[in-house]
Order: sequence, then structure tokens, then C-alpha cells
Amino acid sequence: MSLPAYSSLPLRRNERPSRHLEIAATAAQRRARPKLVYAIVIVGGIGAILLAQLLLSIATADGAYRISALQVQERDYSRTQSATRERLDVLRSTQNLTRNAEALGMIASGNPVFLDAGSGQVSGVPSAAGGSLTASGNLIANALLSGSAIDPAALAAQNAVADQAARDSMAADAATAEGGGISTPGALADPGAAGAPAPTASAPSLPSTPGVLPSPTTR
Amino acid sequence: MSLSRSMRRRVAVSLLATVAVVGVFTTRLVDLQVVRADALTQQATKIQKASYITYGTRGSIVDANGIVLADSVQRWNITAAPNTFASWAANPPRGENPSTALAKIAALTGADPQEILRALTADPTKNYVRLVLSVKLATFQKVKALGLAWLSSEPEPARSYPQGAIAGNLVGFTGTGSTPLAGLELSAQSCLASSNGSTSYEHGADWVQIPASSRVTKAAKDGGTLKLTLDSDLQWFSQQALQEQVLAQGAKWGTVAVVRIKDGDIVAAAQYPTVDPNDVDATSPENRGARFFTSPYEPGSIMKPATVASLMDAGKLTPYDQVVVPSQYSTGFPAGARITDVFAHPTMRWTATGIIEQSSNIGISVISERLPVAQRTAYLKKFGFGSPTAVDFLGESGGLVQDPASIDVISDKAQQFGQGISVTSAQMAGLYQTLGNGGVRVPLTLAEGCERPDGTVTDQPSTEGTRVVSAEAAQNTLLMMETVAEYSNISKIVTIPGYRIAAKTGTAQVADPATKAYGKERNVSVAGISTVDNPQYAVVVTLGEPTKIKTSMAAAPVFAAVMKQVIKTYRIPPSTTTPPNIPLTW
Repeated sequence: MSLPAYSSLPLRRNERPSRHLEIAATAAQRRARPKLVYAIVIVGGIGAILLAQLLLSIATADGAYRISALQVQERDYSRTQSATRERLDVLRSTQNLTRNAEALGMIASGNPVFLDAGSGQVSGVPSAAGGSLTASGNLIANALLSGSAIDPAALAAQNAVADQAARDSMAADAATAEGGGISTPGALADPGAAGAPAPTASAPSLPSTPGVLPSPTTR
Repeated sequence: MSLSRSMRRRVAVSLLATVAVVGVFTTRLVDLQVVRADALTQQATKIQKASYITYGTRGSIVDANGIVLADSVQRWNITAAPNTFASWAANPPRGENPSTALAKIAALTGADPQEILRALTADPTKNYVRLVLSVKLATFQKVKALGLAWLSSEPEPARSYPQGAIAGNLVGFTGTGSTPLAGLELSAQSCLASSNGSTSYEHGADWVQIPASSRVTKAAKDGGTLKLTLDSDLQWFSQQALQEQVLAQGAKWGTVAVVRIKDGDIVAAAQYPTVDPNDVDATSPENRGARFFTSPYEPGSIMKPATVASLMDAGKLTPYDQVVVPSQYSTGFPAGARITDVFAHPTMRWTATGIIEQSSNIGISVISERLPVAQRTAYLKKFGFGSPTAVDFLGESGGLVQDPASIDVISDKAQQFGQGISVTSAQMAGLYQTLGNGGVRVPLTLAEGCERPDGTVTDQPSTEGTRVVSAEAAQNTLLMMETVAEYSNISKIVTIPGYRIAAKTGTAQVADPATKAYGKERNVSVAGISTVDNPQYAVVVTLGEPTKIKTSMAAAPVFAAVMKQVIKTYRIPPSTTTPPNIPLTW
């Protein structure tokens, strides 16, 4: 056991700290030191939150103006829609349709005659068309109607253009479909010859209400 | 460790100051939050809160295909603040002056500028006056675009009837503010009525709504959609055909009924005169109602099928029965009283079917002896006469069937051929529905039900039928009526090739209210069913007091036209059987 080793510890313990030396921080002290950083982070965080909230409320307020403007727009559109629907309902009134149909030269049919698309049979006894549907013009009042009849001259011009277009396209079709599988009228007149079941015995190919002829869905 | 004296003093002072400041804040806080809280909240609400009316929409009336017959539309009243106008007019902005402003409003709305000026200047202290009532959207937008500060507007709910006079008498009409006044508009009020709601919200200084502050204080309620059984196209056709003939024959009035036999749906109920609900003033008040349901009349011979059906059901008659029909009938009548036929004839040997084909009053009186009057009256009531139909239309009449206990001897028989009894067009349609439906009377239906905004359907009418006569009696009655369409004088008009039609004519004497006796006027009818072998629709046409042709020949063309249209509309297939050829004479 040597003396220096023995005396070295008490010596250091009793030694007064000299001015130029710093106390070495313990581990605990070192962990405690970054408190300032935390403070900065927290204060900064609060600031960020406040800023975000401010921006958010600015955005919300801005949205309120937008909503308000859109609601006005929606209201205006729905008003326009209602007004248009109102007009449409008047235009499709029976009086208006009849008037326009007659302006186009359409006439009423004669006796009721039906073509059963299922069996290809005509039922009823045909007669000549009955002439004008309204012998003396439409008599059923409608105060909402005014000036919506079709101008026959303008329509005739429009029809001529459409007819020409249809003729052109039909001519083109005929050119391409030559020799194609277009059924001949004879197939309809004599379905038995093609080995198909007799139309009267088979179930109708169109759904129908019993006792009522198959109806198209037009009105 | 010890603090210096000055240090302690400083701590004490700052503590004191803190307590004082906290105290001031606390007092203020309590004052604001507790003591004056209510007053301040009210004050704030007054500034921040506002509410607006949310409008419920009155329900529409639609036909069986959803075609709108009555609809709610938006209109606006142009209103103004006379007090604001006064200060504006006293010092108008550059480039504007009151007279041009008023002229612009008048030009847009069609109102009289002098009227507008009077309304604005009558009481310059008022802050509200209505200038123009019920303008359409386009006009409203143009007036608004004038940008006049003293002008404002208010929504005004209104009604529109896009189909005009089609079923106008049935649909009815409304007055200002959509107040129901007549027809289904009034009677179906519980279905159609809407109620307005209100929504409150908070707003900023510029009246923009504060987000998420709106609160529905009362929800607006829309009305339901009333769905009718009518087909508006067929209704139009019936009205058109009827009106043409009423005008051609100089008749006072007319009705057409088309009823679907299997379910009693009234698919057309036309009448003349009729009303356009868009222009009620164009029709005189007595013609604005629904004559079809409310005006009973003596029907005449179209009642005869009810008589033969009753007798056949009671086992007292067959279509083949051989009857001796004298030249006049006066059995048990007071001296001078007699029942005759339209044409003079000697004693005839007609079968029961022949009596119907010839429409013999004498023959009906003879065969009516086979059943006591009490039982015959019971049959008439079972057919629906004497009480309103299931439609229960506003002001519907039940007509009159005389009490068998007190009936006079002539009416006893006359009721059986439609005199001395009064019926409505609706009841007559019910009779032919019953005969076509194998003797089962199904309640007549005009409204299928009320579809509420949530999709539920309420007020659906009963469809339960009651048997009046046996199926055999009903079918035999149709076979007897078929001879009318085949052989009688209307045959040429009512024949539809390929279709077996049952028909019956009627030429009823009209009692003159002045003399209380039958006069020269006639109510003429044709009623019938298509087709005899597959009855689907019943059509009854009546013309009131025609002045040109005073027989059922006047009504026949309308019957034929409507029946053809019914066949086309509902795609009724032609008959597949042939008539049995019942002998008419023996």
C-alpha cells in the first residue's frame, strides 16, 4: 500500500476550486439543461396553433360568403327550373299538341285497327282516316296557351332538309347492305313456311296484359 | 436564506395589485355573465339573429299518367317602402328621376304608372305597400335589376292549370294565395295543403350568415300529390266531341262518362259548359261546378236495362220471354192517365229483347208488373240510385228514387223507364259499370290516392264490389242491349266494325219548372259497353235539351266517337264471338 495512493483522494476532496475550473455537470444536470428548448417548442407550438386557428377561421368566414353566394345561385337556378317546367307543362298540354299536330297536317285515324306485333296479324276493319280530329278546331279552353303553334312553312323547310338527309343515309345503307340478311316481306306473311310455330298457337313474343293488345310505351 | 425588506415589500405590492386586477375582472365578468346576461343576450340577438320563412309547396293534381292538371307555381308581389321612396324622390341620384323609374316598372309589369304613384304617395310614412301582384319570374328579375332601393318583393304562391279546361270542373280552382275555392282543390285540401316553416340564423354586420348558425325552428311541409283516375287525353277528346255536338244541336248542357268496368275508375268525366281554372271569370258562376256529380236529371230510357236486369235476377224474365205489348198502358191508372211509346203502334208481340230494342215504355210497364214495386225500388237502390257515389264529390247529389210506400201508380212504372226518378251522370255510369262487370257494382273512383312527399300513399278508396244482380242477368242484359246497336235507328252511327257493342238509347221528357209538367224539351242519351263478349269500358253520353234533333240520334255520334277513342286508347281487341240472334218479335 503506497502513501500517495492513500493521500491523493482526501487531497482532492479538500482542495478548494480554483477560478479557472468549471464544475463538470453530472448526467442528471445535463438532462435538465434543455428546458429552454422545450419552452421554445411549446410557445412556438401555441403560436402555430393560434395562427392555424386564425387562418382556419378566415377560411371558414370566406366559406360563409361562398356558401351564401352559392345558395343564392341555387335558389335562382331552382326558380329558373320551376319556370321552365311550368312552361313545359303548358306546351305539352293536349290542346297545344293537338293544335300543333293539326298544323302539321296530321289527321285522326278511322276505325280502330291494330297490328299485333307478336303474331303479325291485323285485327279490326280498316276504314279511311277520319279527317281532322277537331272538326271546328280545339274548343277546350286553355288561358295559358298563346302563340306556340308551329309555323307550317318553317317546319316544311326543316322537314325537307331532314328527308334529304334520310334519303342520303338510306342510299348509303343500301349500297353497303346489298345481299345482306334483310328479311323479305314474305317471311312475315307466311311464318309457317319457315318452320316457325303458328302465330295463334304460340305465346306472344311481347309481354301483354290479358285482353289488351300489346301497347307501345308512347303517349 | 433571508430576503431583504425591500424585496418583501415589492412582493406584497405586486400581490396586492394582482388581487385588485383579478377582482376588477371578476366583478366585470359576473356583471356581464350573470347580472346583465339576459338583457345583453337579447340585445345581441336583435342585432345578430334573423329568420326567414321557408315555403312549403302545395301538392299537385295529376291524371292517371302523371300529366299535371294543377300545379303550384312561383309568383312574386312587387312591394315598396313609401317612406324610403319619399326621401329618394326628394333627392334622386344623378341620372334618375321618379317618373322614369315608375314608367319603367309600369312597362315591365303592365301596371298603371299612376296607380303605382298613388300607392307610393298615399301614406309616405308607411314602410310597406304592395305595388304589383303576382308577377312571373322573368318580370320579377327585370324589376329587381332596376336596382331601386325602395323596391322589394315577396314570394306569392300561385296555382297553374297547364291543361286548362280539361277536367277543369273536377279539378276546381283557387283564389288569391292559393286559397282553394272549388272542386278537388277544395275537397282534397287535407292531401294538397302545405304549411310554411321558418329558419333562424345569425349573421354578421353585412348580413352574411355565420357558418353553422342556422336552425330550423319550424319545418316547412309540402303537400301531397293527388292522383286521379282520369286520362287527360281521353278527357280532352270527350269534352271536344261533346262540345262540338252540344253546339251543333243547340243543347243547353251535356255530359260524357267513361268508366273502366273492372275497377270502377272514371277515366273521363266530361261536361259542357266547363270552366278553365286559369280563367274562372270567363265562365258564369252556375257553370263552374261539376254538373257530372251535382246535377240530377230524369234519365229516361237508359234506365230500362236496370229494370230488365232486376227482373231477370229475380227470375221473373228471360230475354226470350214473349210479351204482348198494347198500344197504351193504363192498368190501375186514374182516368185519362196513360203511358205511351214514342211512336204509335197497335198491340205488338215483342219479346223482352224486342221491348229493349224498340225502347217500349208500355212493354217495360207490362213486365214490371211481374215484381212488386218495393223489390224493384230495392234493386234501383242497389244499383246506386238515390245515394251519392263513392267518389263523394264536393256537393254531390244522390238524385231521387221515390219511396215505394208512397209512390203514385204512374211513377211506380215510370221509374222503371227513367221518368219520375232523378239521377246524376255519375250514377248512370255506375249502372253500366255494374251491368258490364257481371252484376257486381264496384265503387266509382275519381282519385286513386294521395302520395305524400315521403312516398307513402294515403286515402286510397275502397275497391270492394257488391253484387247487385247475377252474372247471368247482367250478361243477358248486355245481349238485349246489343240488339239496340245492331238494329235500332242509331245502329248505323254506333256500329264499330269488328266490335260487339251493347247500347241503349234514352229520350227523356224534361219537367218544366214553371208548369211542373213535362214540356217539349228532352234530355237525350246513349249509354253502352264495349265489348259484349269482353266488357271493359262503359260510356254514357247525355245531351240536355237539344233544339235541333230532339232524340237520342243527337247523342249517338258523340257515343260512337268516344267509344272508338276508348278502344284506341286502351287497345281493346275486337270481338271474337258473334251475337246470338235473339228474336225480337213472335
